Amino acid sequence: MQQRRELDQVYTNRKLLNGQLDTPKWWAPTVSILGVIVLLGLIVIAIMINKGLGVTGLSRPVYWGLFITTFVFWVGISHAGIMISAILRLTQAEWRRPVTRAAELLTVFSLLTALVFPLIHAGRPWRIAYWIMPYDVARGIYPNIRSPLIMDPVAISTYLIGSSLFLYIALLPDLGNLRDRTAGWKNAMYTVLALGWRGNPRQWKMQTVGGILLSALMLPIFVSVHSIVSWDFAIAAAVEGWHSTIFAPYFVIGAVHSGVSAVVTMMALMRWLWKWDDFIRPEHFDALARPLIVVATGWLGFTFLELTFALYGQDAPEIALREMQMFEWPWNLLFIIFFLTAYAIPVPMWLFKRVRTNIALMFWTSILVNIGMWLERFLIIVPGLARRTPFVYTWEAYRPSAVEWTIFIWSFAWVTFLMLLFSKFFPLVPLFEQKESQVFTDDVMIGRAKVPAIVREAD
Amino acid sequence: MTTAAFGTHNWGMVVDVDKCIGCNACVVACQAENNIPINTQDRVERARSIAWIRVERYWIGDFPDAKAQFIPIMCQHCENAPCEPVCPVYATYHDAEGMNIQVYNRCVGTRYCANGCPYIVRFFNYWEPVWPESLRNHLNPDVTVRSRGIMEKCSFCVHRIRRVARGARSAGVEIADGAIQTACSSACPTSALNFGNFNDPNSKVSKMRDDKRHYTLLDQFGTDPNVIYLAKIDANKKVGAGEASSHG
Amino acid sequence: MASEAIAHESEHHAPPPQVAAEIIARELVATTTGASGRFKVWAWFLGIASIAGIVALVLKFIDQSDDSTKWGYVAAMVSFLLSIAGGAPMVAMAPVMAKANWVRPVTRIASLFSFAGVATIIMLIPLVAILPPLVTEGARRRTIWYMAPDYSPHVWTTLSLVLLLVTGIALFYSAALPDFASMRDHATGWRQRLGKRLARGWVGTDSQWRTLRMRIGMFGTFYFLILVFVNFLVTSDFGQSLVPGWRDAILPMYHTVSGFQAGVAGVVIALYFSRKYMKLEKYVHLDAFWSLGRLLFALTLLWIYFFYSSFIVFWYGRSENDIATLNLQVRGPMMGVFIAGMVLIWVVPWWILIWNKVRRGTGAMVVGSFIILVGLLLDRIRTFVPAWSVPPDQIHERWLKVIPEAYWPTLFDVLIMAGGISMVAFIVMMMTRVLPVLSVWQVQEFNLLSKPIRYIRGHATLVAKPD
Repeated sequence: MQQRRELDQVYTNRKLLNGQLDTPKWWAPTVSILGVIVLLGLIVIAIMINKGLGVTGLSRPVYWGLFITTFVFWVGISHAGIMISAILRLTQAEWRRPVTRAAELLTVFSLLTALVFPLIHAGRPWRIAYWIMPYDVARGIYPNIRSPLIMDPVAISTYLIGSSLFLYIALLPDLGNLRDRTAGWKNAMYTVLALGWRGNPRQWKMQTVGGILLSALMLPIFVSVHSIVSWDFAIAAAVEGWHSTIFAPYFVIGAVHSGVSAVVTMMALMRWLWKWDDFIRPEHFDALARPLIVVATGWLGFTFLELTFALYGQDAPEIALREMQMFEWPWNLLFIIFFLTAYAIPVPMWLFKRVRTNIALMFWTSILVNIGMWLERFLIIVPGLARRTPFVYTWEAYRPSAVEWTIFIWSFAWVTFLMLLFSKFFPLVPLFEQKESQVFTDDVMIGRAKVPAIVREAD
Repeated sequence: MTTAAFGTHNWGMVVDVDKCIGCNACVVACQAENNIPINTQDRVERARSIAWIRVERYWIGDFPDAKAQFIPIMCQHCENAPCEPVCPVYATYHDAEGMNIQVYNRCVGTRYCANGCPYIVRFFNYWEPVWPESLRNHLNPDVTVRSRGIMEKCSFCVHRIRRVARGARSAGVEIADGAIQTACSSACPTSALNFGNFNDPNSKVSKMRDDKRHYTLLDQFGTDPNVIYLAKIDANKKVGAGEASSHG
Repeated sequence: MASEAIAHESEHHAPPPQVAAEIIARELVATTTGASGRFKVWAWFLGIASIAGIVALVLKFIDQSDDSTKWGYVAAMVSFLLSIAGGAPMVAMAPVMAKANWVRPVTRIASLFSFAGVATIIMLIPLVAILPPLVTEGARRRTIWYMAPDYSPHVWTTLSLVLLLVTGIALFYSAALPDFASMRDHATGWRQRLGKRLARGWVGTDSQWRTLRMRIGMFGTFYFLILVFVNFLVTSDFGQSLVPGWRDAILPMYHTVSGFQAGVAGVVIALYFSRKYMKLEKYVHLDAFWSLGRLLFALTLLWIYFFYSSFIVFWYGRSENDIATLNLQVRGPMMGVFIAGMVLIWVVPWWILIWNKVRRGTGAMVVGSFIILVGLLLDRIRTFVPAWSVPPDQIHERWLKVIPEAYWPTLFDVLIMAGGISMVAFIVMMMTRVLPVLSVWQVQEFNLLSKPIRYIRGHATLVAKPD
């Protein structure tokens, strides 16, 4: 399948800068609608902070609910960026190039969104801002670093800062490009942001080295973030569904599963909305979907192990919890939907190349995966708490309230809104990567067959 | 020996389940003593009721031979408390007198401690507490009224302990055994709840703890509680010795 | 782009020489014959050590078959041999799926390790007899076999190990067909006759190649699934279920991943010696070591990650069985072994392999691989020996109440361990006499698909990526 076309630089520039240099027709109405939703969500958050967490559906013992689920979900989504940019950069996978920027953006914006949830779900969020975030010791007590809730903000903010740097370094050449094509205040903005980028060999070298170094440094952070998020749950010995040694890699691989699927969703949208058919091609979907099959199957294996060793002890509370999670209304319905959407429907479909290269199908299957992965977190967190425990007269009392659902929807609108806003000012497909891939790929004749080839360092 | 100096006591409780008649006097005493918000119907229905001590009732056997058994549950003040290491702001910590302390000022309301607690004895204030006008003047001035958004739990009536300890220290005497009573233990008509110092081998609780009926709740979690339970004696049961601890 | 050979400044940057397909076949087939004196000495030595190991195993069985607490080292050996022999063929699989070019010359040597699965099975035989059944004295211990018949662990672990061996050989054979054809065409004597018989009429038609690739993909995927399953069974039946209260969900994955680490280390060592003593520098490029080095580096990090993931959960959990598990495995009598293992699996190799220069060379790579293998052996010992030393009468408790004393190896155990490791080396060495140590067709394909080119002001390789 030969999809790669020789694209000249003028065409590449014109096509890929079509979001910045002129505005697509759908952009303004979409952004306004999203803006209204975002505003609404912010008002609801304000009301919730003003009135107190009584407006949620939380109870005793279900102290954590939809917010924490959504927090874990967005942290999971954030794993796409580094997965695609850093790992694929280090393994020199050529097909990563058009999707790196979008994936990194998704990382940054989903992390920003994720951070909101632990903040607003605290009883007194204004104190969190004062006592955990600035790390001053005005109270005379250092925060408790044994608590995963301290490790969480440390890991996530490190990840956020690292990904932002990573994004910015990759943006530099394109900023220089935009600076040269704009006038007025935009030109002034790009001039400042481009940090004097002229594209001389030294700058390129530093940009490349910076990217590679950051990739290598970001990988451990990438793994640590979701591991620590998983330890929020796993260290609680008293919650049967949570106390499992497998949680860290299980969460990480699940995060990659959902994050890369989110990137697939985004790629399809980018291709459709900005008409980038020449840059985001079916072969890219194919290339993303194939490792996704492996990741998804690995994730299923971890799910299996988690379940097996939960039942391994054959303790009555553990078995009761699992029975509730899988067979009791309404969890059983959620469990079935979860299993179908997270694995049983999309992954067998991806086995066929015809599906992997069909963009509409990839779009819908990737959305299914994320529905399933959200439910997975929900099914871990809420039944784990809602189970019946000894010596307690209340259990199973959680129904997310309208306020929680509104804030949940807000988070999606917020990420999309930020993305679209970003796309107005910065290119979503890295121009320089696109051009580099033109240089780094070639065709070779092997016998009578024309085979796509890439340039590698000699050994 | 009991001295008034801080850190030399190990406060604890011995609950004789055999004596508990399920009268709930302890629950009422605790509500009144500790300014606990009123558990309205709405709050109970939404599973948000707050009760620092509660009496759990279990039915043993089938009708008509059914019997009710009661067990009072409060914060177990674990030596190895799962709630303590997870608090990001040290709002809950272990003090030198064997108590699990909740510092309301520090609490930001992550509710993480409550998730870790196997006894589910930590409570979150979902709303700002409101009392009817008639009860406003009944609040205990020694106990902080907790605002919304923070955790609370049984404190072993720490204000009573501090008051007696202060008095003993200024008088230069030791705290006598039984001088400190928590609200629940003083309200208990059958002396099922007993409060005292485990460091003093001659105290009432220390002696009670040596009873062979003693056990702790959910010991598989390794929490090492400072609340010791004495098992119920089943009068109808034939062989007895050594079997008593199977109750928990 | 231009593909002519270009004058080069330094040796290191020389583009790999392009060799004609015919010469590759002839030269590689020639490596199977004419073993050097040193090779023969080593082969005899390893062969005798293997037999000594088997004899020691038999003697130990006769002597101590009634006391399962003394069999920890044999269990550790099963795990260790499974790690090397089972993990190595994965090197032939995983990068192939990612269409990596460097792996092509390495695949054969990696899949040769499948045959060493024989050693694992030999070690397993006495253990199957000694492993306590699920129900003893009327009580059923905690296992993955919730309601299964009593001897399920014994039957299924044995079957799955045999299945792994068979699948590994099938994977090896399906990829070796064209090479047997090369033997048929270029070798002499019994090797030619064997090639003729096993090549099964291979002439290299399109449909034959299609079938070959399909078979490799199929057996490879199947092999991977079986391997995970075997690791799952061995770690839970021969490890966790023997210790009351030990419940570590990550252990099967931990074992698989560190097994993969052992496999890669084994492949590096085998590759190093065959490259050096069979003069294969022309075919095994430094690129292969570089890529294996990066893989090994990533795996050392993965080891500590998986270990820590389980450790922190036990550490924070602090419930009785969590504490007992840590005391048995990490803090207890095995603490020294654990620390030594950690240093040798993670700290030292990590520090060696982090340098790009090391990964692009061969000497330090092979040292690092040896260190990793020693470390993994220690790790297997600290995992399985304490588990087996739990007396069978405590096996049904809710958690381990008394941490048993450490059981240190006797002469028999040392002989058995040395014999098992020798057997792996011996089997791999013997297999290089049957088939070329590098796959002829893979090397040919490697040369076909990569071309040295001049790129701007330096050298580069143009690597074709066929669909």
